[in-house]
Amino acid sequence: MQRTSDYPPAPPALRARTFSCMGTVVSLTLPAALGADKLAAATAVVEQLFAGLDETFSLYRPDSEASRLARAEIALPEASEDMRRLYADAVGWRLLTEGAFTPERPDGVLDLSGIVKGYAIQEAGTSLLALGLRDWCLNAGGDVLVSGSPVLVSGSPVPGSPESAGREPWRAGIVDPEDRRTLIAGYPLGGRSGAKLALATSGSAERGDHIWAAGAGSGARPGSAAPVFRQVSVAAADIVTADVLATAIVAGGLPMLDRATDGWDIEVLAVRAGGELLATPGFRR
Amino acid sequence: MRIRSAISATLASAGILLAGWQSGIHVEDTRGAAASTPAGTSGTTGATGSSSGTTGSTGSSSGTTGTSSTSGTTATDSGAAAEPTTGAAAKAGGTYAGSVVQTRFGAVQVQITVNAGSITDVTALHLTDDDRKSIMISNRAAPLLKAEVLAAQSADVQTIGGATITSDAYLSSLQAAIDAANL
Repeated sequence: MQRTSDYPPAPPALRARTFSCMGTVVSLTLPAALGADKLAAATAVVEQLFAGLDETFSLYRPDSEASRLARAEIALPEASEDMRRLYADAVGWRLLTEGAFTPERPDGVLDLSGIVKGYAIQEAGTSLLALGLRDWCLNAGGDVLVSGSPVLVSGSPVPGSPESAGREPWRAGIVDPEDRRTLIAGYPLGGRSGAKLALATSGSAERGDHIWAAGAGSGARPGSAAPVFRQVSVAAADIVTADVLATAIVAGGLPMLDRATDGWDIEVLAVRAGGELLATPGFRR
Repeated sequence: MRIRSAISATLASAGILLAGWQSGIHVEDTRGAAASTPAGTSGTTGATGSSSGTTGSTGSSSGTTGTSSTSGTTATDSGAAAEPTTGAAAKAGGTYAGSVVQTRFGAVQVQITVNAGSITDVTALHLTDDDRKSIMISNRAAPLLKAEVLAAQSADVQTIGGATITSDAYLSSLQAAIDAANL
């Protein structure tokens, strides 16, 4: 097997740490050369941040602020600043997506879980950068945010090579919703300036508890309950945009897909209910 | 007394007419600037602005710009777009360039060709600032075969994207295998 790339033949040496939060598993991956201590410290910071947000926003915890709001024990104006800010963000996204993304369940209960994980990833990323870490990959249950490259700079880039302008990107695989042991596509994140850093995926089959088919509201598919898309992946500059739009497209169907690609600088890979693919040019090989 | 007032009234209306005429000419000038090549003929469009009831003969056809005594202002506003087509000039026909509009893909400008009052052609004078952005205009998702998307092997990726998995499902996931390899 001959390699044609200019990259070193060995896969980049990486080190990962994981923890459980928000009902899923969060993985932080750093170049191994940075050392185990740095990774442990960074993971602790990220874990603390996730745990704090989960404590406030989880509807699975009866004592959380979100649960007390849902039981109408407190009103939104009395809620914490985090709660009010995220609610405002979510309502803003509902407007931007014409109702395809909404922070309220059909029964009227406020549910910010559609935006809180993306927000947690974004805040964690900001913290990692503040710690001085430039190269990392953060994966929270299938939503990914990266910075820099998996390969630390050692010496000068190969002169004249087309990649000399950038570094090796993080290579993300997207699972096949039909068979989760295989990948349906790949997408490079980070590595060079201007590259998309975030990849979020929403599905209608799996744990889609914050996605509701927007039949009545958006007019996407009135009267139809079966989602058009089995799975939608969105690559964007930031994770909240990617996460919200992936959710909105699953809920809003084809009209929302077109609105999203027209209105935002994103790349989309959508798997239709029958398994067919729709993709923007960035996902084309 | 009566004669005098009649004379002064006539003079006044003549003055108004004159002012209207001049503002009309002014309107035409700004329009000429906005729509770089109003190949369509002469002072006709200008006359529409002045009208104020009296010179209605020239202003007759338009409707959008000929809002009587308001003279130049409204006409100048609409002149920024490809509006100069209204009025007699449009009847005459010609080509008109629209203003440059900024979009998130860059600057866009179109030109229309008018013949007998109808738009017969629309051409793009300027579609965005560079080719890369022009491509983005058609960034809609299109049907694709699996063999046409960016491929990836699980041995060759550093992270896995997918719909949110539960902690239990993680244990048997590809991401868990990758994490385990990097522990």
